[in-house]
Amino acid sequence: MIRNKYILIAFRLVVGGMFIWAGISKIIDPLGFAQNIANYRVFPEGISFFLALVLPWIEVICGVFLILGIFLSASALLLSGFLVVFLVLIAATLIRGIDIDCGCFGSLSGKVDYKLILTDSILLFFCLNIYFSPKMVQIKSK
Amino acid sequence: MALKKLLQQIVLILFLSLIIGLGINFSLIKKYLQGDFQFGFISLEKYDSITFITLGEAEGLFSEGEALFIDSRPKEAFQTGHILGAVNLPVEEYKEEKALDLIFLPPEGTVVIYCDGNECNSSLELAKVLHQKGLIDIKIFFGGWIEWMREELPVSSENDPQ
Repeated sequence: MIRNKYILIAFRLVVGGMFIWAGISKIIDPLGFAQNIANYRVFPEGISFFLALVLPWIEVICGVFLILGIFLSASALLLSGFLVVFLVLIAATLIRGIDIDCGCFGSLSGKVDYKLILTDSILLFFCLNIYFSPKMVQIKSK
Repeated sequence: MALKKLLQQIVLILFLSLIIGLGINFSLIKKYLQGDFQFGFISLEKYDSITFITLGEAEGLFSEGEALFIDSRPKEAFQTGHILGAVNLPVEEYKEEKALDLIFLPPEGTVVIYCDGNECNSSLELAKVLHQKGLIDIKIFFGGWIEWMREELPVSSENDPQ
């Protein structure tokens, strides 16, 4: 695990920024995102709709908290959980051979592919580093 | 203690997101409960050129011969079999402008888009693209290829020359 405070602060900014951007792009088009979730053919229609309304706000709030240094452990853990779920969904989609947009960044989303696994894995690595050293980053960044 | 605090913070974040997410989208939730999105998550006010049609309506338009049928399934599926006279605009290609230019799209005529059936969404995605291209009468036949086949309506297994 990385202990350098500047690197950890950079991780917070990168992950926070990415999730704020991802969340906002979905918030402006909730129906488009609901359709994106439905396209994965994993959740029933009602669940897809509910997730599309709430999930982007979790992303934005956690992203803002990461950048501001509020509830760092909780935010990093929640986003790590999301990234694990995203990775499982992406892998399952690739294995099933479904050709869809990932829905990661609203209308700017790319296709579900192996590059996406790499991006999400890097973000997960950043998130876990933040989670496992929250106190140090929180104190020294203030 | 640390775990309890962590859980409290997680619950707080989730609760906050729930309140904001559901509060801001209250009107959408109302529409959902009224059954507005039973065919797909699309705002028919925003995409006012799009309507959903049944098998009977699709058959009627087919008999009249005025509408252009567009198959949004992958090329291989299209070549195996499609609605007679339909053109293919697969999901992996239609986002590129070039693919759209290859097909003559009647700006004021009717187009009927279909894919496999209820489980597919490419017809909906394509309809949105065609709406943005300025088509004014886009019909989505949600029953798609499966319903058409089930009723043994006219099909072709050749790749129609374009």
